[in-house]
This record gives sequence, C-alpha cells and structure tokens, in this order.
Amino acid sequence: MTSNNLAPIQIKAKRNGFLLMPDPEASFDSVMEYLNQHLKESQDFFKRSEMTLDLRARPLRTDEISALHSLLVEKAQVKLVEVKLTETLSFVVDRPLIQQQSPPPSSVPSRQATSARITVSPLIVRNTCRSGTRIESQADCVVLGDVNPGAEVVAVGDIIIFGNLRGIAHAGADGDRSARIWALSIEPSQIRIADLVAVPPKGSKPAAKRFEIAEVQKDMIEVILL
Amino acid sequence: MAGKTLVVTSGKGGVGKTTTVANIGTVLAKRKKSVVMIDADIGLRNLDVVMGLENRIVYNLVDIVEGKCRKEQAMIRDRKLNNLYIIPSAQTRDKDSVQPEQMKDLCCELAEEFDYVIIDCPAGIEQGFRNAVAGAEVAIVITTPEVSAIRDADRVIGLLEAGLLRDIHLIVNRLNHRMVKKGDMMSTTDIVSLLAVPLLGVVPESEDVVVSTNRGIPLVHDKGSRAGLAFRNIGGRLCGESIPLEEDAGEKFLDRMKRLIWS
Repeated sequence: MTSNNLAPIQIKAKRNGFLLMPDPEASFDSVMEYLNQHLKESQDFFKRSEMTLDLRARPLRTDEISALHSLLVEKAQVKLVEVKLTETLSFVVDRPLIQQQSPPPSSVPSRQATSARITVSPLIVRNTCRSGTRIESQADCVVLGDVNPGAEVVAVGDIIIFGNLRGIAHAGADGDRSARIWALSIEPSQIRIADLVAVPPKGSKPAAKRFEIAEVQKDMIEVILL
Repeated sequence: MAGKTLVVTSGKGGVGKTTTVANIGTVLAKRKKSVVMIDADIGLRNLDVVMGLENRIVYNLVDIVEGKCRKEQAMIRDRKLNNLYIIPSAQTRDKDSVQPEQMKDLCCELAEEFDYVIIDCPAGIEQGFRNAVAGAEVAIVITTPEVSAIRDADRVIGLLEAGLLRDIHLIVNRLNHRMVKKGDMMSTTDIVSLLAVPLLGVVPESEDVVVSTNRGIPLVHDKGSRAGLAFRNIGGRLCGESIPLEEDAGEKFLDRMKRLIWS
C-alpha cells in the first residue's frame, strides 16, 4: 500500500470500475508518465474497464484534461465514464464529448439520430459559455448560464439554456428538424436547427426576459414566446 | 509575507492596459505599498515610455530570465516614488524568449519582496498572454464599451478561468457618460451583465490621458483629472477599501468648481 500512496495518481477499484485520483502535489507530467507506464504494463487488465476521473483535489487545465482523456481512451482503450471537476461540476461521458474542436458530427438519417439520443445522457454545462467555447453533445444539451457572443453550442438533440442565448446554437445537428432550442431569451448571432439557419430580424430591440423556444415551422425557424 | 501578483489584460489592443498598469502601480505606491511593475509585452515595449523612464533602461526582462543580470539590476526606480519600480521588456526580442515557467518563478521571487507585482500583458491570446498570466493570482480585465473589446474580454475571461485563475475583476475604460445617456454607447450595467465578473471601477474618457502618456507622468499625480480620480479609487478598492463607484450622472457642480480651482 505504501507504494500506492506515493504514486502521483491513485487508482482505486470501485464496484463498477476504477477511480483515478491525481495527487494534489504531483506535477501533471509525472501523472501522465506514471499512468502511461502503468496502463502499458497491465493493458489487458484495464482494457475496456470503466473509469472515473476525480479532479476535485487536483484541478487540471482543459488541455491537460484532454491530453489525459486521449491517453486513456485512445492509447489504453479505457472507457472514461465520468470526469468530476468540482463538487458541483462533473461531466458524464459516454462518448468522447470533451473534444473541444472536433468536426461536426456527420449526417445521419434523423430517425436513427432520435433513437441514439435516448440512449446517450444529456450534457450538462454548469457555467456561462464565453466567447471561444464550443460545446458539442451527442444528445441534448443543458446550459445553466448564458451563451455569450462568440460561443457555440452544438447538440444532436435539443438545446436548453437557462440564461440568455447571444451566441450560436445548433440543435438537431444530425439533421433532426424536430429539435428545438429553449432559452430565457433568444437574441443570438445565429441559430441553426438541422439544416436550417436563421438570424434575428435587424433592428429588433431585445425585450425583457421571458422564456422562448425556437423550432421549425414550415421549413422556417421561428422563435415563439412561451 | 508574500505580496499579491496582478495581471492586467484585455485581449484586444489599445484599450488601455499599459495606462492602467502605470496608474494602478503609482496609486498603490502612493499608498505606501512597495510595487514592481513588469512589462511583459516583449518586442513592443511601452510601459517605460508611459512612466517616463525610457532613457534609464540598461537591462530588461529577458536579461533577467537569461541570467545576464540580477533582477535588482533591471529594476528601474520611479522618478517621484522610491517604492515603485518597473522591469522593462526587451524591444529587440520576441515573445518566445521567455517561457511561462520562468515568468512564474520570477513573479514568485518578486512577490516575496514586494507588496504588489503588477504585470502588463500584451494584446492577443498567444505565447505573450500565456507568459504574462502564468505567475498571476489576480487578473484585472480591461475593456472599453465597444462590442469588439467586450467580445475579446469575454474570451480572455474564459481562458483565465480554464487556466484556473478565479480571482478576476473588470475595469471599464473610456466610458463616455454623455453617449451612454443618449443611448449611443453600451452602459456599464450591460457590460457587467454580459461578462459576469465583479466590477473594480469605471474610468471616464478623458483627454488628460493622452497628455499624461505623452509627458510620461501617470495621471494619478494630477489631482484635477476625473480619470485620475477613477484610478485612485480603483487603487483604494484593491487595498480593500469600499469606495462607491463614481457618479454616473457626469460632473457634479461641486466637482466642476474643484476642477476650476485646481487648474
């Protein structure tokens, strides 16, 4: 057990998989090195096992998380199911959702897309999406905060924003025209549903906060008040 | 007792980062704090010009990092305040001459000796930005009431948060109260509601800024200037005093009288 305590990252066995906990003192490089070696040594043991990454004690930067993610998923073929960032913020990952700038998902017939949507859990983002952020979800996407100008939210299913939508939102990215966008107020730079694109009418003054939905009606995206 | 390390950043260029650094540094030094300002804009050096210390430069930031001099040799003392120093950047080098780890070490060392270390960040979000932000624990984001500057500030705040820097404050620079009243300019409330970070201060647009920059004397030395007053109040708030935001309604009669007397 002593050697386990000294390791830069602790690997604990749980009932349904493994828990990875980086040591708060350890440097990121040592974590990567240790993990790389450990996973290589016992590749067959860890292969396709479910892992949870617990970063509550040792926060990592986004580029570090994506480096760790690619090491686990691509090299060691481990299934990363959850990333715990803080007490309140965690990503439930069934498919590689953390990718920040991956190409948009390819077109799939809409019926297939809807059936896939049910099996994948929605992505929940618990902070404001600032300019330069790109959120991609293989299912529905819930944002608890604003989507600022310059940010993009792309989801195969619906997009629900508990805040103002001022950036770009693309619902039904796989071609599902029944997808909808919900927000406290929709004043975006652009909204897209499936293959349709809409921009808000020019000169429209943003009204007071309310609840709005964007959906496709007769081949046109319409924003309606709830 | 370790001091505080602040980075002043904006994303967009020309919104007043260097001016803010010069003024905040001077205010804090006037409040009897020991302050060192680092110009991290390697290749586009100008903090020394704003402070009027251009002709005293012998060594610079890159020399310290490369071990060509001790850090005390590169620190230039202000003309008026003897507890205020600047470390100029190199004009003939580029941003890659310094690595984020080196900046971090330097900031740690300086924070041991000084109450405040203020870093002047270059525009952009590339290597220079990463260098400047590496050693900081508090970030001050500057924006002007223009959509382009606000968009860039939003991006920078996102990057700072991703880099695990949580203590972020906002300064709105060059606000024209008259234009806001007419509805031609975004108001402070609009900006704060979009960026969602605490407001540290609002600096009104003023011709005094250009004059003071050209003379190489920070604005806060000028007691009559309203922009100078805004910077003095920002300095006070940084020291933990609760000073209410300046009147939005423009100049009050009493202020105008004061200004007439001072000039």
